[in-house]
Amino acid sequence: MIKSEKGAKQKLGQRTVVLLSIILIVGFGAVIARIAYLQLVKGEELSQKAVEQQLHDTEISAKRGTIYDRTGKVLAQSASVWRVVMAPANFKTDEQRKVTAKGLSEILDLDYDDVLELTKQNSYYVNVKRKVESAERKKLLKLMDTLKEKYELSNVIDLLDDYKRYYPYNELASSVIGFTGSDDQGLSGIEYQYDDYLSGTSGRLVSAKNSRGTDMPFDYEQNVAAEDGHDLVLTIDETCQSVLEKYMTQNIIDFGVYNRACGILMDVTNGDILSMATVGGFNLNDPYTIADKEKRKEIKAIKDKTKKQKAYNEALQEQWRNKAISDTYYPGSVFKIITSAMALQENVIDADTSTFYCSGSMKVADKEIGCHNLSGHGTQTFEQAIINSCNPAFMQIGEKVGAEKYWEYYQAFGFSELTGIDLPGESEDIFFSEDGSMQVVDLAVASFGQGISITPIQMITAVSTVANGGNLVQPHIVKQIKDADGNVVKNFDNTVKRKVVSEDVTKTINKCLEDNAIQNGVKCGYVAGYRVAGKTGTSEKLYDSNGDGEEDYISSFVGYAPADDPKYAMLLFFDTPTGDNYYGSVVAAPVFSEVMEELLPYLEVETEYTDEELENLDAVAGTYTGLTVEQAQQQAEQDNIIAVVKGNGDKVVAQVPEAGSTVPNGGTVVLYTDKESATQTVEIPNLVGYSLSEANEIAAQCGLNLSVKGASTASDAISTQQSLAEGTKVAEGTVVTVTFSAQTGVAD
Amino acid sequence: MSTETLRRVSDEKRRRTSRGSSGRTNNRKAKSSTGRKFFNRGMGLDLPFLIIVLILMVVGLIMMFSASYPVAYYNQNGDSFYFLKRQLIFVILGIACMLVISFIDYHSLHRLSYMFLGISYFSLILVLFLPAVNNVHRWVGVGSFGIQASEISKFAIILFMAHWGSLYYDKMGTIKYGVLPAVLLFGTTAGLLVLEPHFSGIVIIFLLTLIMLFISGINVKWLGMAGIVAVIAFFIAWATGMLSYAMQRMDGWGQALEYTTKEMWNTTWQTRNSLYAIGSGGLFGLGLGNSRQKYLFLPEPQNDFIFAIVCEELGLIGAITILLIFALLVWRGITLSLRAPDRFGKLLGIGLTSQIGLQVILNILVITDWLPNTGISLPFFSYGGSSMIVLSAQMGVVLSISRQANIEKA
Repeated sequence: MIKSEKGAKQKLGQRTVVLLSIILIVGFGAVIARIAYLQLVKGEELSQKAVEQQLHDTEISAKRGTIYDRTGKVLAQSASVWRVVMAPANFKTDEQRKVTAKGLSEILDLDYDDVLELTKQNSYYVNVKRKVESAERKKLLKLMDTLKEKYELSNVIDLLDDYKRYYPYNELASSVIGFTGSDDQGLSGIEYQYDDYLSGTSGRLVSAKNSRGTDMPFDYEQNVAAEDGHDLVLTIDETCQSVLEKYMTQNIIDFGVYNRACGILMDVTNGDILSMATVGGFNLNDPYTIADKEKRKEIKAIKDKTKKQKAYNEALQEQWRNKAISDTYYPGSVFKIITSAMALQENVIDADTSTFYCSGSMKVADKEIGCHNLSGHGTQTFEQAIINSCNPAFMQIGEKVGAEKYWEYYQAFGFSELTGIDLPGESEDIFFSEDGSMQVVDLAVASFGQGISITPIQMITAVSTVANGGNLVQPHIVKQIKDADGNVVKNFDNTVKRKVVSEDVTKTINKCLEDNAIQNGVKCGYVAGYRVAGKTGTSEKLYDSNGDGEEDYISSFVGYAPADDPKYAMLLFFDTPTGDNYYGSVVAAPVFSEVMEELLPYLEVETEYTDEELENLDAVAGTYTGLTVEQAQQQAEQDNIIAVVKGNGDKVVAQVPEAGSTVPNGGTVVLYTDKESATQTVEIPNLVGYSLSEANEIAAQCGLNLSVKGASTASDAISTQQSLAEGTKVAEGTVVTVTFSAQTGVAD
Repeated sequence: MSTETLRRVSDEKRRRTSRGSSGRTNNRKAKSSTGRKFFNRGMGLDLPFLIIVLILMVVGLIMMFSASYPVAYYNQNGDSFYFLKRQLIFVILGIACMLVISFIDYHSLHRLSYMFLGISYFSLILVLFLPAVNNVHRWVGVGSFGIQASEISKFAIILFMAHWGSLYYDKMGTIKYGVLPAVLLFGTTAGLLVLEPHFSGIVIIFLLTLIMLFISGINVKWLGMAGIVAVIAFFIAWATGMLSYAMQRMDGWGQALEYTTKEMWNTTWQTRNSLYAIGSGGLFGLGLGNSRQKYLFLPEPQNDFIFAIVCEELGLIGAITILLIFALLVWRGITLSLRAPDRFGKLLGIGLTSQIGLQVILNILVITDWLPNTGISLPFFSYGGSSMIVLSAQMGVVLSISRQANIEKA
């Protein structure tokens, strides 16, 4: 018994040691090993996952950079709005989800089912809608209050800072500036091209949240501030742009231009694009609405849904299209500038001695190619050939240049490559063949700009090369990139690609084109007081785009000023005028004159009047009231104005026209010395249908001042409009503006 | 009781009395043959063991507070101290209970072993008729003061097997005395626990039964067979779906990080976040009070998963330190039990101490995703009154044993 007891005791001791070892070594050992493995080996991975669920990442929108014109006017700007986000994981019941979805969908104009789907996500951060404005925000705040009161839901909806893009000038330069999408990303134009610079970097607000998505009661916040986007300074000048668009818009109406129009104003010395317009454009603040009313009606009338959508999409693409860089066209006679430059540079013609004969048509490889003047221009000098815009003459010049050289210069002037302008959507040219080989007829028509499809931006860049002395520059639209603090990030230097022709050649052409403008008047871009060079172009389109059964034309014009030291070149391009007139000289050139007349003073180009122009120059009436009759007469004489005194007083009490009015040189101002005589009136006569001298005479007889507009210098100019209607009673001395136009000239 | 048993009981009494008097020094009077006093200071309790228990209680309380205050803040109307206040009362009650019990001569438990077994079965049956909490029937009690039926069972089984093993120490090699009573005891208890269901309770009781049989001197081949039977039983239960609850809980066991379905994501939520917490701690931890996972990510961080927060806040260093204190407790508890004057005291002390070690190990295997998430609390750390008081009482028994162990040594 005792022995057995002792044995049992011994056994107990041994087994306890075994037990203790198992518990301490195996049990605790395994446990410690397991924890060590989790904390040391897997620690990083696990803590990373823990942090992922503990931290809530809230995106902070970056403010998109502002786009300025070259003078500092704002073209595009982002303003503060709100972004609605939701933490659907905080919903507790389906009722809460439904109420919230209903409220949100009503206020934000969203689909109820879509929002309800969002509320079911197990997430703390779901975007509901961006760019919510203050009116909606107020309603949302109310909804949030209701949710809090009724359902004790205070952490479901949140409003975060957001930005919305505004374009103060609506339609101005719409195809150039472009617009942004719902996520603030640039979709077209500059907004797209420079999206990386403009968009900035979104910030993040990282904060620790507990499992319910509310803040933990300790400081654990990391704020990565949003980096606002860079600002852009464009080469575009808002004033130039709006003047250009104003006249183009009017012209589109006047000539029933079917396929819109584009215009480019470029600094020939450095490639700065001061204006680039596609008219009609669209409202940048509302890019998805078809701007053209007719088109809108047309689309609305379509019953079939898919067809309607298709038509709508096509119309959108069309209105967003930047014609100046995306359209290709036959440049027509404008290209004669380039053909001339080739020939002169290659010395195959001599500007002074070469002559060209035109019989009204010319036979090229069994094909009769006509001139626009069917009776022929006869024998012409080089300059006359340009002024006449004679096709046979240029076919002869082209023949002398030869196909090989033509292709060489075609490439040298940059037609075979993209200009590299910093805008999206630039089109490539279409030449007769890939390798530049041409048939005889091809060369013949290419000499006057038919058969080769190029973009307007290529055309004006090539003309700028001629204007600036032979350097092909790269056109560009962004001048400078600045950061949000105004520091310059990048300056865009002018890029001269290559020297194409010599200065002698360009000077010769400048002279010819200036003479062209002088001789043809507004038909070739004449602007009084400025030395302007210009060339018209009318080209046939390959197909009838508007389906009216008549051939479609493009009326274009390229000109630059001042002709003796060219600085600004402008190209105008009207696609398919539907009226009787389609010649570039009638449709496009006058717009050039109008725009330049207004812009050249603004651009501080010095006036250079010819003697003849000086005679027609206007005088400005001074302030004569209050002076004695004698003083007033002396003063008027100094102002180049003849004073006519009415009444018997000693002092001038009233004057017509008012001080500051423009009066032709040697015009009259009527000075009244007493009140009674001031009521005398004259009746406006008919002033339409006369030559300049006749009109002047009639006006003088009636005691009116005549202000002259339009092509008054052309030899056959006849008045076509008067500013005050016949029969209107006005005070003596009133200024009547009469517009003149030339009756013949280049039909091109 | 059979005549055999009655004879052995009186034998046991005799042995104990004689040893008690023979080892005694001269300044105390010999005990009368009628037995000892109910209360017995002996030669004083084992101070190191007491200190270890107190250290664990204090550290456990601090960590429980750290782990629980966010949950208390969010769920108890901003009362961050909700759990601390209650647990503090439980700890004080527990300490009192422990000290009082340490004065009781553990031999009186000899007589009470059948009574505790009776209470165990009674409560295991009663609990089935009480309303379920979280779909399980585990708690018996009044109002907020309940006790898990299995807590009583664990103690009852250890106590009974210590009693039985000390009576039939010479017959433990036989099937009749060594194997059958244990199989019967475990079988019936486990059967009732399946009905609750309480899978982890079965596991602990199974292991405790094995430990008790092992140290009681059972033939090792029976233990091996028990192991095989357990495995077979487990697979039968698995196949028949009897352990459907446990199976549901085990779905995703070991795959807390490799969830593929939303359902798995939800079932493994607690374990996954436990792993996140442990992993976040690294070597040195985030610092006391700096756990992030306790902010509602880890559900009920004050309960079974409290050690995950310990790992997160105190790191591997802190975790190992605390585990070493537990190991020290086990070491001290078992070694002091071995010095008990009789076989009953030895078996009882080793059993009760082993239970602590076992629970610590199983608890941590659960929170580290090596065992299915089945509800095993961490002694002295996890929030809960009944567990704290029962554990303290058990420690009181060990201390009571230590008083007499020291008698022999002295």
